[in-house]
Order: sequence, then structure tokens, then C-alpha cells
Amino acid sequence: MRLTPLSSAALRRPLSSLITPKTQHQRRAYAFQTSGIPTSFQVFNNRTKWLQRERAASNVEASRQADYLKDEVAMRVAERLLDVKRTFPLTLDFGAYTNSLARALTNPNPDPSQPDADIPPLATKIGKLVAADSSEKALYRDAELQFNKEINMERVVLPYEEGSLPWEDNTFDMVLSSLSMHWINDLPGALGQINRILKPDAPFIGAMLGGDTLFELRTSLQLAEQERRGGISVHVSPLADVKDIGGLLGKAGFKMLTVDVEDIVVEYPDTFALMEDLQAMGEGNAVLGREMGAIGRDVLLATEGIYRELHGSKDEDGTVRLPATFRVIHMIGWKEGGDQPQPLKRGSGEINLRDVLGTK
Amino acid sequence: MTQKTRPIQRFAQAVSKCTAEATVYGQCVVADYNSVHKNQCAKEFMALKNCYLAAAKGGK
Repeated sequence: MRLTPLSSAALRRPLSSLITPKTQHQRRAYAFQTSGIPTSFQVFNNRTKWLQRERAASNVEASRQADYLKDEVAMRVAERLLDVKRTFPLTLDFGAYTNSLARALTNPNPDPSQPDADIPPLATKIGKLVAADSSEKALYRDAELQFNKEINMERVVLPYEEGSLPWEDNTFDMVLSSLSMHWINDLPGALGQINRILKPDAPFIGAMLGGDTLFELRTSLQLAEQERRGGISVHVSPLADVKDIGGLLGKAGFKMLTVDVEDIVVEYPDTFALMEDLQAMGEGNAVLGREMGAIGRDVLLATEGIYRELHGSKDEDGTVRLPATFRVIHMIGWKEGGDQPQPLKRGSGEINLRDVLGTK
Repeated sequence: MTQKTRPIQRFAQAVSKCTAEATVYGQCVVADYNSVHKNQCAKEFMALKNCYLAAAKGGK
């Protein structure tokens, strides 16, 4: 770097004139959105989403058949509880939908890596589970099934409009959330709310869809609309990216963050099976400003051809299978408090990383 | 609702009989997917659509 010498004029001036007078000095903060205040961006129509979920859950049989993704992710979220050596007297399942998490928690064999180990179901670690969702139909869909007897559960129906969560500060010993937060408009606000209702030093363990989820469908629909109609409209939601989640959790006040990503690829015989299943999951398009009405037949027909060609994989016997990627972002954050481990002061390290890693 | 098959299933069934045409159309679009414009593959699409219409008629 080259140093530029001060100009001679500056050198001649008395030093005091170079320093800005105190009275003019104002502290400037960085511009960012305070958590808890709704963002001006509204991406999703909450009412449409609520209607889709209610309708999907009303068709019990189809809805149960399409539970595979939510059950799988709930299982993986629940598995993370094995690492926490604690009990949780009061736990919230935020966005419980059809209670996949409650089912996963009552799984008699919680650790698939140790099938022979005698580990009690995770539900024994939980005193009471509060399952909250805006869709009443979904919440009560499986109210008669066996797992309800194996876990102490209370169902709470939330309003579909986003807003303040109806619990006092410092209420819960843990908050869980599995595959529902990707429909929230104000994600920073929701995370702030979760942080608020958690007790100090209590964890939030969540999973949401993000990033490149359904990129195959997104690209095929775009190409089909471009070729058939000469323009595109939104059919797949915009989703949070992995790299944003850490920042969002940090901004909401969470400490000791863990964020990781997992791709779940599901194969379908054709695009119609994929779209039907998405609908049965209650995961239809609810983006504001989307084109109303169903996608036209011509575009659907074109999408089928393009998806097969662009993403399909052929079996030995010639049948084409269409993969659909669901990118699940797992996150863990702890509310500040207690005797939580704190990061050491910057520069206080005594061991050179180079020595530890053995690099030169 | 008492209908046995939903319209989407009938649609899917008819389309499944036109895999050859769908592949030709798909290849046409994907061949140059960075600059797709309207009706670039109109001929291939009409072949696919005609096949689907015929299949849908036969299926009823």
C-alpha cells in the first residue's frame, strides 16, 4: 500500500482545525430492520395458505399419504434431541400442522444409528408438548390415533395472520419447528418472537425448506411458460437461503448457532404426481401476485416434456423417474442466559492453529 | 365429491401415452435453454398436444 503524504496546506494549518468539533459529531447506526416490527415485504398470502392447508388436511387419506416428507424431516429434527442431555417440562411445536413431530417424538426407537440400544422414546424427555398451528383441521386430523396417548399434548389453534405469539416471555423450555416456517412473511419477527417466549438458555431447534428446493420444477415451469406463452410467472415460492439463516438467528438474539443443510430427493413418476402431492401436503403456491387460477393445460403438458428431458433419470428398463429436491435447512439456536459457554475475548488465544493443524 | 378419478389424473394418464412426443418437445426446448422464445418449438408441441388429445379421447 502506498501512503499518500498530507498536502502541504494541511500541514501548515493548526492541528485543531483538522479535528471535527464535538458538537457536529453524531453517532450513526447501521440501517437494519428491527426484529419484531413487520417488514414492508409481503410475499405470501397468509389466508390463501391457511385455506390450502385446511383443504388439504380435510382430505384425510390423501393428506396422510403425502406425509412422507414432513414425517422424514420431523424424525431428523427429533433426532437432534438425542444430543441434548436435558428434560423439557414445557415444549412448543411451532407450526405443528399434522403433528409429524409429536409422532416422531413417540417413535419407540429414536436413534436409527443404534437400532439395538435401549433408548426410551424422546417423548419421555418432554413434560408437555404444545402443538400450535393455524390449521385446525390439520392439528386435529390424527387426534384419535395411538401416539396421542404416548405424549402429553395440548393443541392450540393460532390465527393465520402473522403477529405476536400468544404466550408470555420466558415460557418454554424448548421450541421446535419442522417444515412450516418457509411460509412466514416476517421471518426475523417470528424468530424474535420465538426467542422472546423461550426461557433463558433454552434451545430452538427448527427445520425449514430453503434455497434450491424444487429447482427442477421451478426451471421446467419457467421454460415451459417461456416457450408456450412468451413470459413467466411465479409458481414456486422464493425461499430463504442457507447463508441468510445464521444472520437471521443472530439478529433475533440466538447464541451458539448451528445451521446445516440436507437435501432430500424424492422421485416421482411424472410431474402430475409431484404437483398432486405438493397440493395434498398443503404446500401449493401462495405467493402474492401469482396468476390466479390453475396453470393452463398447455403449460402443464410442456412442463412434463421439459422436466423429463432436463432432470429425468432413466432406469435400465427405460422408465423415466423425475427427481424433486427438497433442501432442508436445520437450525439450532440458544437463547442467551444461564451459564452458557461464552466465546473468549478476541486475541486471547494462546495456541497457534497452525501448530494444531500441522500446516506450515 | 363422488368422482372416481380427478381430472388431473385423467390428464396425467393421457399424457403418459405420449412419452415419445414429450421427449422430442423437451429436447427441442432444452437444446438451447438460455434463449427460449415463444413458439420456438410450436411444431413439436402441436405433435405432443395432438397425441394427448387423441389419447384423452380414447381413454373416455
